[in-house]
Amino acid sequence: MREPILTIADLTRDYPAVRAVDRLSLTINRGEVHGIIGENGAGKSTLMKMLSGLERPTAGSITFAGQPLHLRSASDAMRVGIAMIHQELNLIGELSVADNIFLGRERTTLGLVDRGAAETAALKLLNQLGSNISPRTRVSRLSIADQQLVEIAKALSCEARLLIMDEPTAVLSERETLALFRVMNQLRLQGVTIIYVSHLLPEVRRLCDRITVLRDGRFVKTVEPREASESDLAQLMVGRDLGDLYPARSPHGAEKVLEARNVFVDGFVRGAGLDLHRGEIVGLAGLVGSGRTEFAEAIAGLRRRRGGSVSVKGAPVRLRRPIDAVRCGIAYLSEDRKTRGLHLDLNVVENTTLANLRAYGRYLLDRGALRRSAQSHAQRLGTRCGRLSQRVSSLSGGNQQKVALAKWLDTRPEVLLLDEPTRGVDIGAKQEIYQLIHNLAAEGRAILMISSEMPELIGLCHRILVMRQGRIVGALAGERATEGDIMHLAAGVREARVA
Amino acid sequence: MIQDKANTPAAARFGWSDLFEAWGGLAALIGLAAFCALFPATREHFLNPENIRNIIHQNAFIGIIAVGMTFVIISGGIDLSVGSMAALIGGLSILAMNQVIGLTESPVGVYPPIKYLIGANVSEGLGVVCACAVAPPIGVALGLLNGVLITKGRIAPFIVTLGGFAGYRSIILAIADGGEVRSGSFSLFEAVSSPRHGIPLPAFEFGERTLELYITWPIIVFLLIAIVGQVALSHTRFGRYVIAVGSNETAARYSAINIDRVRMVAYALIGLCTGVAAVLLASRLNSVGASNTGNLFELDAIAAVVIGGTRMSGGRGRIWGTVCGVLILGIIDNMLLLAEVSAYWQGLVKAGVILLAVLLQRSRPA
Repeated sequence: MREPILTIADLTRDYPAVRAVDRLSLTINRGEVHGIIGENGAGKSTLMKMLSGLERPTAGSITFAGQPLHLRSASDAMRVGIAMIHQELNLIGELSVADNIFLGRERTTLGLVDRGAAETAALKLLNQLGSNISPRTRVSRLSIADQQLVEIAKALSCEARLLIMDEPTAVLSERETLALFRVMNQLRLQGVTIIYVSHLLPEVRRLCDRITVLRDGRFVKTVEPREASESDLAQLMVGRDLGDLYPARSPHGAEKVLEARNVFVDGFVRGAGLDLHRGEIVGLAGLVGSGRTEFAEAIAGLRRRRGGSVSVKGAPVRLRRPIDAVRCGIAYLSEDRKTRGLHLDLNVVENTTLANLRAYGRYLLDRGALRRSAQSHAQRLGTRCGRLSQRVSSLSGGNQQKVALAKWLDTRPEVLLLDEPTRGVDIGAKQEIYQLIHNLAAEGRAILMISSEMPELIGLCHRILVMRQGRIVGALAGERATEGDIMHLAAGVREARVA
Repeated sequence: MIQDKANTPAAARFGWSDLFEAWGGLAALIGLAAFCALFPATREHFLNPENIRNIIHQNAFIGIIAVGMTFVIISGGIDLSVGSMAALIGGLSILAMNQVIGLTESPVGVYPPIKYLIGANVSEGLGVVCACAVAPPIGVALGLLNGVLITKGRIAPFIVTLGGFAGYRSIILAIADGGEVRSGSFSLFEAVSSPRHGIPLPAFEFGERTLELYITWPIIVFLLIAIVGQVALSHTRFGRYVIAVGSNETAARYSAINIDRVRMVAYALIGLCTGVAAVLLASRLNSVGASNTGNLFELDAIAAVVIGGTRMSGGRGRIWGTVCGVLILGIIDNMLLLAEVSAYWQGLVKAGVILLAVLLQRSRPA
């Protein structure tokens, strides 16, 4: 066995609503590429943030190269030799490659930045990575793949011994991905340790020496690629039983309420379509970046549609603005509650009624009616807030989500597009939201539920559509689908098996 | 438990800063007025009802604009063009009035000598009505121009209205050839903003004198606009939308609000206010100085809004706070005047008051 460089013991991180990482123990060896996989919300990002100094652990210890690690900031991490390559790159587009590599550590001569020395050093680092980018190029002119290389060069320039990469290939083409893998193999030979976070199973198996699976913030297992197939890994990522978390399905009607055909959105959706029937709950699965949010936003009039058609109850509708969709009875609950779904510094009443103010008076708003309406929604959804005049920023995630839902229920929609309705919500509120979705469907509304949590799709939906690269690649019957089926379709492991 | 601590309602942590955030503007106004009423150098004259009436009268012009500015700032914008716009609109409305008076007076030509049919006073009256009638729509048009450039042209409000600041001033300078636009009305136009016209108060004894005060038209217009503004902000759909757009534009768009329209209407509204203020301002001196009328109005209006507790980044604010802000600025001028402090010091004192007001009213970081 090789010597460990990083040892994590009983690491825990609590957030107000959830325990993101739960007594996690893990060992990473010097010079290996170690894959970390798990569903969205498994605790991968939180773990990486703690390792790179962006978050502090609530409890537990990290030992790096034999020394206990107490990081207070990203620059602390860099000092001991840990560098993180984020999914969103941290480069300054207007500066040159060399300037970016040595940003904050400029080489100076007599107090002036020594451009020449920096460029020579940058060139050496880039050559080492097998790249022929000129150090003088402005970063904004580089492709994403080249920018990633600049980030890696930057990490190497501060002598990083541990490189953490968060889904680096999500934004790369096939060819660029292969080039990146070559670079990573080379780094491994130079003795750099790499933690590679991803949920694309084929590439993880191909690249990594060992793979650790996380689930619900806990350690599940560390395996070697030859010990576990992709299916085994998928099973490890999702394996759990939350059977009675979900209400029993009730039968849905036959009337088609929403019909979308051949929808195109530039760069995201390439000819996706779906049908929603009265009382039906349809799940939409897919990895982050599969275009599912953009598809729903196009139906809600929030994104420009390049092609395709949408009909409500058989009649074609034009959806040029969000208000058009609201008038057609379509409501879209955003996955991004804090910046899109709610006005955090407005209160419960103001948020609840904002999308439907027309209903509260022709000229002057009836403030009593606004209040009563917010009150009744809060009661129905079981929103726990001290006063209705409380700013929603002071509510917990679950209660915020209920206010966001109430805003859309107030418009009396017939079609609800719910994007990650249970994200960042604790388990109790989750169950209430499931029950609510079930009731809304039973009342005759058609519901599209976008989610990265496969158990909730399987537990709640009549049908599950899977999206990949802007297309619907398969449809599964809700009660017969397995997480493996969904994962296979979403990650493109197996061809569609249409139910 | 961590969870409970984070969710404690704000009311449970009541403190002075909350109180100041809600009522700081009014508190500052009362404090300042009390100071002036007690301070030896100002005590004698400050409390004279005529002095107080004058303070409100003199600051009503800025006040009207500041009401519009409150909407623009709450919506997340800014308008630097109002001072120049006021000069331009004032000049144009005087030109329109002179045209009407001139036309009706012309003894020959295409137009009949209406003056001799309807009398000189009537023709002057028509001119004044015309001036008052053209100013507000011109204001709305100029405000909409700003709004269209900002929303459809996607240019930052600061830049667009900085352009207006330079551009509108330049137009009126060109029209007046660098001088002033003089009114052709003898006395009627002046009466609009004169301290000796308006709604009379019953005569009363003050000290040894009998005062016959008027609540002047600018004061009445200012108060009406402020009341309508406060109602519009807190009791109409438009008001809610302005707050929503300023608080979080993206979330407003996702709530199916037409954010471009909301912002455009806010700029049209400040244009309307500026138009009204412009014609009152023109009547005050019976002329418009191309280079000095409305100078620095934009900054005084913004200062009043900020002192009133409206958040500079948008999303939160109140009209009554702005009214307090306008009065605070007016009292400072008055106080220094009464205390015989050099006018050169006014700027420094204002600066101190603005900073203090904002310091007291800043909300705690979330």
